[in-house]
Amino acid sequence: MLTDNILRNVMKPGRYTGGEFGQTVKDKTKINARFAFCFPDTYEIGMSNLGMRLLYHALNQMPDTWCERVFAPWPDMEEQMRSNSLPLYALESGDPVKDFDFMGITLQYELCYTNVLNMLELAGIPLLAKDRGEDFPIVVGGGPCTYNAEPLCDFFDVFSIGEGEEALCEMVRLYIEMKSSGSYTKAGYLRELSHIEGFYVPSLYRVEYNPDGTVESYAPLYPDVPGKIRKRIIKDLDAAPFPDTFVMPYIETVHDRITEEVYRGCIRGCRFCQAGMIYRPVREKSPDRVNEQVRCLYEHTGYDEVSLLSLSISDYSRLSHLTEKLLEWTDREKVSLSLPSLRADTFSKELMDRISSVRQSGLTFAPEAGTQRLRDAINKNISEEEILRACSLAFAGGKSNVKLYFMLGLPTETKEDLDGIRDTAMRVAEEFYRTPGRKGRAPQVTISCACFIPKPFTAFQWDAQDSLESLSEKQRYLAEIISDKRLKFNYHDAYASRVEAALARGDRRLGRVLLECRRLGMRFDAWDEFFRYEDWIKAFSAAGMDMGFYANRAFSTEETLPWDIIDIGVTKRFLLSEYNRSRESKPTPNCRESCSGCGANRLGGVTAWCPKASE
Amino acid sequence: MVSESVRISFSKTGRLKYISHLDLCRTMQTAMIRAKIPLRYTEGFNPHPKMIFTQPLPLFAESECELLDIRLTEDMPHEEICARLRKEFADGLYINKVYEPLSKFGEISYALYKITGFESARERELEELLSGEIAVKKKTKDGKEKVIDIRPLVRSLERREDALEALLGAAPDSYLNPDTLCRSMCERGLGKGAYGILRIGWYRGDMSPFE
Ligand code: SF4
Repeated sequence: MLTDNILRNVMKPGRYTGGEFGQTVKDKTKINARFAFCFPDTYEIGMSNLGMRLLYHALNQMPDTWCERVFAPWPDMEEQMRSNSLPLYALESGDPVKDFDFMGITLQYELCYTNVLNMLELAGIPLLAKDRGEDFPIVVGGGPCTYNAEPLCDFFDVFSIGEGEEALCEMVRLYIEMKSSGSYTKAGYLRELSHIEGFYVPSLYRVEYNPDGTVESYAPLYPDVPGKIRKRIIKDLDAAPFPDTFVMPYIETVHDRITEEVYRGCIRGCRFCQAGMIYRPVREKSPDRVNEQVRCLYEHTGYDEVSLLSLSISDYSRLSHLTEKLLEWTDREKVSLSLPSLRADTFSKELMDRISSVRQSGLTFAPEAGTQRLRDAINKNISEEEILRACSLAFAGGKSNVKLYFMLGLPTETKEDLDGIRDTAMRVAEEFYRTPGRKGRAPQVTISCACFIPKPFTAFQWDAQDSLESLSEKQRYLAEIISDKRLKFNYHDAYASRVEAALARGDRRLGRVLLECRRLGMRFDAWDEFFRYEDWIKAFSAAGMDMGFYANRAFSTEETLPWDIIDIGVTKRFLLSEYNRSRESKPTPNCRESCSGCGANRLGGVTAWCPKASE
Repeated sequence: MVSESVRISFSKTGRLKYISHLDLCRTMQTAMIRAKIPLRYTEGFNPHPKMIFTQPLPLFAESECELLDIRLTEDMPHEEICARLRKEFADGLYINKVYEPLSKFGEISYALYKITGFESARERELEELLSGEIAVKKKTKDGKEKVIDIRPLVRSLERREDALEALLGAAPDSYLNPDTLCRSMCERGLGKGAYGILRIGWYRGDMSPFE
């Protein structure tokens, strides 16, 4: 049992007590399916996740289903749980996760995989799906990592591919039906589930490998099991289930505010960006619907801060109309509005003055690459003039801090591109002195460099990640040439990026590595203070696997990719043509300029600029 | 503009004892907005509602008598405020009553606590504790440790049925965190560390109750 004594021995006990305003509590005797929605990171991060809020609501809308929340306990709590034999429990009821019908785990980033295994273990659920009998919950995975969840196949019964609002409800309904008709067996249920679009049951496929270690084939074990799993999308976002309130955390979370999604998908098509492909096609909510939802959430949550969420808010076709509508009442009610993903090239002075996120903090831009040549190759369609113009506006508005995001190790990168990073930052700094009405004596330009990670379902999915040596060499070089006092340089850890790349492009055999990780007691690898590269090396070698094979190898465009079994709408042919165009530094127009025929329109629910497809 | 002051008395018990004062402030603020209480905001660049609390409770302590003063921009009957706010909290936070403040928090000198977990402490040991200095270590702002005597901040400490009742300094310049006293009692072997603290009242210097 969770006792006072346990909670006195941990930091932030409010993470573990539940009972927040707005949580859903149901009468257990009237429930046919209990769903433990697990977020494999801390309470503060999980509670900020919009997807979790949406699915919690969607599942709890079903009268005979009860969805509860579970987060990864911080190591201090884990220690208490283990020493007091307290199994992983759900916050609403305090009941052990092991007694639920479903354990749903959302997979947001690869480095949380070690937490996934740890949570299974803490729940007292056998790690391997094949070792779990009828009495254990169905373990289902969802979220962006399921587009290639092969490394996790041994541990999950099923993956829900794509948007879950409707799919998860169908999954639960099928379960309840089969249970009540008496026809339920786990195997029978999973088989039946595989017939529903968007459900991938990994145990129903046999994978063969070539002698060189690459994948030879994926074959369904039975003729009724589909050869490819197509992702699910919500066709009409205006009509999708939407919560009228949130669970209100007592303790401060990462995004302790209203987050409102404005549209899904992205028109841009940056070639390194997975989100830009997996969420296609673009589907917008109407400004009226967004306004209505924000207003409703404001009244029911009492949050006085609203953040509009999307991959690139400036691309929303009716942005000015929307902000007009919102500002009409948010100004009056002293609610602050922020647009976190505002693009430099659509920045207007007027908008900037009215949006508090810009008003309060500094400006950030993501040119990603240092030269126009490389920006064209990665299809980041933003020019230096646009960046400078936006910076100048910001300087005129009294700002003197600018943060620029770049990526190191992008395909086709040369030394010139590295020099370009410094030069771009220098020109931003110089722009400051040319701006009339600037405030302060000198600008501060921060250069932040991440490492390129090849991700499935991008044009760069075949590309090798730079070796650790090469990345460190580049970091050293930049640190040396960025010497101006007005520039600040920081960079991301290349080691964690390498592990991320290996897991992102991994196949089923990496399950063995994750098992070794658990044996080594690894968890919270997404946290710098717990990530230990040596442990990953140990785990890979104990499992007899080579990290470089997955991270640093250029995959052949001919070979079968572990994620070929998933159909995201966007075709492999399109990605390949994007790959080829990148080698010629040829940009591709965004969807609103002209359609490039990516294939996502086949899924339906498209916006005006996507051609309608009959398929 | 009317600017009526309103005092809210509330309990913070059960689950809420795991919630810090800062978190409580945020919880109050969102609840006020949900309840559509016409709160007066501070002026300035980053306006926020005016809320003044009595001395914060330490983590793991409970209270039946927390006080919060707010100011309104327009009239709203006290019963209405009370009824609206009661709907906005889950278990552990309960609005006792809402009324017009007749005196300022500055008049508070003491807070009364009911302390459990020291059942085994003998009368003699308590007397001994109170007979001399109670030295505790305290971190100063610059991170150094210094030893202070908290005895002057303990007005009384008596057994009442199966619990102890402690009357401790609660004015801004003579506030004693009840947790500090309990910890020091544990260090002296008067208890085993699992203690409970419940704040039950406020008093002026002349021992008249404050509310
Ligand atoms: S079908 Fe055309 S317009 Fe639609 S998402 Fe794909 S490229 Fe863009």
